[in-house]
Amino acid sequence: MIRVSDLSVNYGAIRALRNVSFEATPGKITAVLGANGAGKTTLLRAISGLVTPQTGTILLGEQSLARVATENIARMGVAHVPEGRGVIEELTVEENLRLGALASKVNISEGIEAQYAQFPVLGDRRRKYCGTLSGGERQMLAMARALIARPKVLLLDEPSLGLAPQVTAELMKTILSACESENLTVILVEQNAKSALRISHDAVVLHLGAVVASGSAAEVAADEDLRRYYLGLVEE
Amino acid sequence: MRWLRGLRRQETTPTRLISVAVLTAVALAITFILPPVANSQLAGGAAITIVILGLSWLIGWSGQISLGNSGFMAVGAYAAGIWAHHHATTPLIFTFALATVVGGLSGLVVAIPSTRLRGPYLAGMTLAFSAAITPLAQNFSSVTGGEGGIFFNTLTTPGWFQHLFSGVDATINANAQWTADLAVMTAGVTFFIMANLFHSRTGRAMRLVRDNDVAAELMGVNLSRTRTFAFVVAASFAGLGGALFSLINATVRPETFPLTLSITLLTLMVLGGIGTLSGAVIGGIVYSFSTNLVSHINSLTGVNPASNLGANMQGIIFGVLLILTMLFAPRGIAGLGIKAVNLRHSRAVLASDENVN
Amino acid sequence: MSSFLTSSFMSNIFGGLAQGVIYSLVALSLVIIWQSTHVLNFAQGAMAMFATYVGMTQIDRGLSYWWCVILSVVVGMAFGGITERVLIRPLYGKPEINPIVVMVGFLGVIEAVTTAIWTSTSRNIAAPFSQIYFKAGGKLVLLSPFIIFQIILAVVIMMLVAALFRFTRLGLQLRASALAPEVARLLGVRVNRMLTIGWMLSAGVGSIAAVILASGSFGLFPTNMDGVFVAGFIAAAVGGLDSPVGAIAGGLIIGLTEQFVLAYWSPSVAPLGGMIVLVAVLMIRPHGIFTRSVSRRV
Ligand SMILES: Nc1ncnc2c1ncn2[C@@H]1O[C@H](COP(=O)(O)OP(=O)(O)OP(=O)(O)O)[C@@H](O)[C@H]1O
Ligand SMILES: [Mg+2]
Repeated sequence: MIRVSDLSVNYGAIRALRNVSFEATPGKITAVLGANGAGKTTLLRAISGLVTPQTGTILLGEQSLARVATENIARMGVAHVPEGRGVIEELTVEENLRLGALASKVNISEGIEAQYAQFPVLGDRRRKYCGTLSGGERQMLAMARALIARPKVLLLDEPSLGLAPQVTAELMKTILSACESENLTVILVEQNAKSALRISHDAVVLHLGAVVASGSAAEVAADEDLRRYYLGLVEE
Repeated sequence: MRWLRGLRRQETTPTRLISVAVLTAVALAITFILPPVANSQLAGGAAITIVILGLSWLIGWSGQISLGNSGFMAVGAYAAGIWAHHHATTPLIFTFALATVVGGLSGLVVAIPSTRLRGPYLAGMTLAFSAAITPLAQNFSSVTGGEGGIFFNTLTTPGWFQHLFSGVDATINANAQWTADLAVMTAGVTFFIMANLFHSRTGRAMRLVRDNDVAAELMGVNLSRTRTFAFVVAASFAGLGGALFSLINATVRPETFPLTLSITLLTLMVLGGIGTLSGAVIGGIVYSFSTNLVSHINSLTGVNPASNLGANMQGIIFGVLLILTMLFAPRGIAGLGIKAVNLRHSRAVLASDENVN
Repeated sequence: MSSFLTSSFMSNIFGGLAQGVIYSLVALSLVIIWQSTHVLNFAQGAMAMFATYVGMTQIDRGLSYWWCVILSVVVGMAFGGITERVLIRPLYGKPEINPIVVMVGFLGVIEAVTTAIWTSTSRNIAAPFSQIYFKAGGKLVLLSPFIIFQIILAVVIMMLVAALFRFTRLGLQLRASALAPEVARLLGVRVNRMLTIGWMLSAGVGSIAAVILASGSFGLFPTNMDGVFVAGFIAAAVGGLDSPVGAIAGGLIIGLTEQFVLAYWSPSVAPLGGMIVLVAVLMIRPHGIFTRSVSRRV
């Protein structure tokens, strides 16, 4: 479980997050929605320790993540698929997967085979350099690389970006099934509110760094004002 | 200290001229009270100041890291020495001009391939140049005198100056002081030129190229020409400084320009303050004092100066100083000075604001 | 066949390769830390020289040549790791001139301290291999058992380094840390530790170069790595500072060039030969022959 309370992050004079509080629970997908520049990426980066918050606390279960180094947060079971997916292009598919498993206790070759079973297309391309992969293949690799370490928490930053609607739908299904079968805490950052809300259990809406709404995904999806003014879901 | 104002950016050329003239006059006056040994050291410091002015311009203002300026010094020194060897009666000013031009040309030769390079590539390239230059000089020993070098002793103290001195060591004293005066005046002239260059249109373009070459290009600045120009200026200053340096030593030989000289130059520049005029002067002054400073430290720590450690103390101290300055005060002594002035300035502004309210 | 081996052309090839592998090692060591930390270590040669002094002078205490070699490498690695922690770590994210200046200062300190401890007199370090050239058909082949040892040792070290990077967990983490430090962190790689290990590895490789050089005919003296460092840097720049293969190829190119300039012109202009190759290469490819990306960091 991730519990964020009163979190504020500044970049110099820019206040990217203002007193953000919310909870993400195991076995559920919590969608974080909002327009460009709302602070979604910053929120995930703060959880992973890549930016230092000005105020507030982040708890992983009972444990505070304040001043814990990024690599140790990862080792505590927080997998983060960054914006743009973070696939290392100069390494092969298999090397990327191996890297994902290195820091965890899982058996590397078994883990890799399990991911190939889940994403057969990666198995076909295992010796290819990732620079040659398509956007969808990269996204699958990024997911596989995150899941291989059997994390407790999965942070996803706009996984649907640049994917065709059909691929996005596939991806959302994969996320949902991983979440349910592994009892994962998933925080799903999306601009594509429609497809995110379809699979999420809970939702948080950010606007200019502040939480403007949070609750169950169904409630958020049903709120006309939210849909119109923050999520851009109502067509005029 | 009103007359020092001329060194500030916004001032005009005439005020700058007055400031430099006053500074030079003060330095000249000091040579009258210094003993001959100190005057020789001062002369060396003035020569080094000229080289650092060029280096500071190159690294601080154009953002190009060079470890080759000891090589440019060697080129200027050899040009002057070889010319003077064959044409002993040439006025010194002409020999110096020659060293400046030939030094600048060597800068051009290095700049043409180098200005396309960035940071460490450039630093390594220029290091390779200064490593190659002295063996090259030794190779043409019929012209350069090989290991032993060539005699370069065309400095003659004018009669009227000679007459100011009396006593047993009159000639020695007069010669030492004349050398120092000449070096100080040369340094004064180059300082004035560099002060104007720093604040000229070219100087501003240079900093733009350093900070944001894309923007500079969009504004119509020719990048490679600007970078090449920076190199040529730095190399001609180094050439002149090298010639002066060799004249003070009365010989031009390879061992005057070892690779470690580049380290010394870098140390002095960083210590004084990268990209500042006053930093170059501070660097020169530190160089003048370095021998005394090292022997002082040797005696303080009880190290025998003739021992192995004593003989290498200068290298150790310079290296450590360079590292510490870069780690803890990367803007050097001049930077600390500027910070103090700014602090005082902003306090004054705050105080006047309060008065208004 | 034997006349071919004893021809002056082949002699120059042997001489150039022998020198070239030393340059390749230095270039490789520079590339290792350039890739991971984007620092060009100007003190690389001096650090290796110092480690070699510490290690190889133990011969005087009765330690065997091979133990001294191992000791030199270990000392070099420790030295590299400490240098990264103390001098380089505070400079990450600073302008690129800062680490250059610091390492130039460090170069000065190391050479002065070494001279203070061991004097500038060259000392002879005898490798357990003869330096006498082979003969074929009564004429000299410019190859000695020592030169063969030198080439084999260098090649073995290069292969070990390649294998480490290519096939081990550590190598994968080192590569990831260099290629994408933030992503590596997110995957739990201890990137800071990798940077230190990279410096240790690099210094170890540099130490091997210094040991080989010191065991040769010039012996060991405080500035004996200066020229080799410059040539090694040129080699790395020719190959491309982020290409290990380029570094090795560059070393051989520079070694051979210098050898031919030396043979057909004059020994004192040999360094110039390398520089001319560098200028020529950089005019055509400003980032070296073997670099993949020509894109510039803005
Ligand atoms: N490194 C940075 N330095 C300064 N400002 C930053 C930095 N990163 C983000 N910001 C600013 O912080 C605010 C929030 O950025 P963030 O990347 O978190 O938004 P986002 O919700 O992820 O947007 P998007 O949907 O476009 O990815 C923005 O105003 C952005 O300009
Ligand atoms: Mg974002």
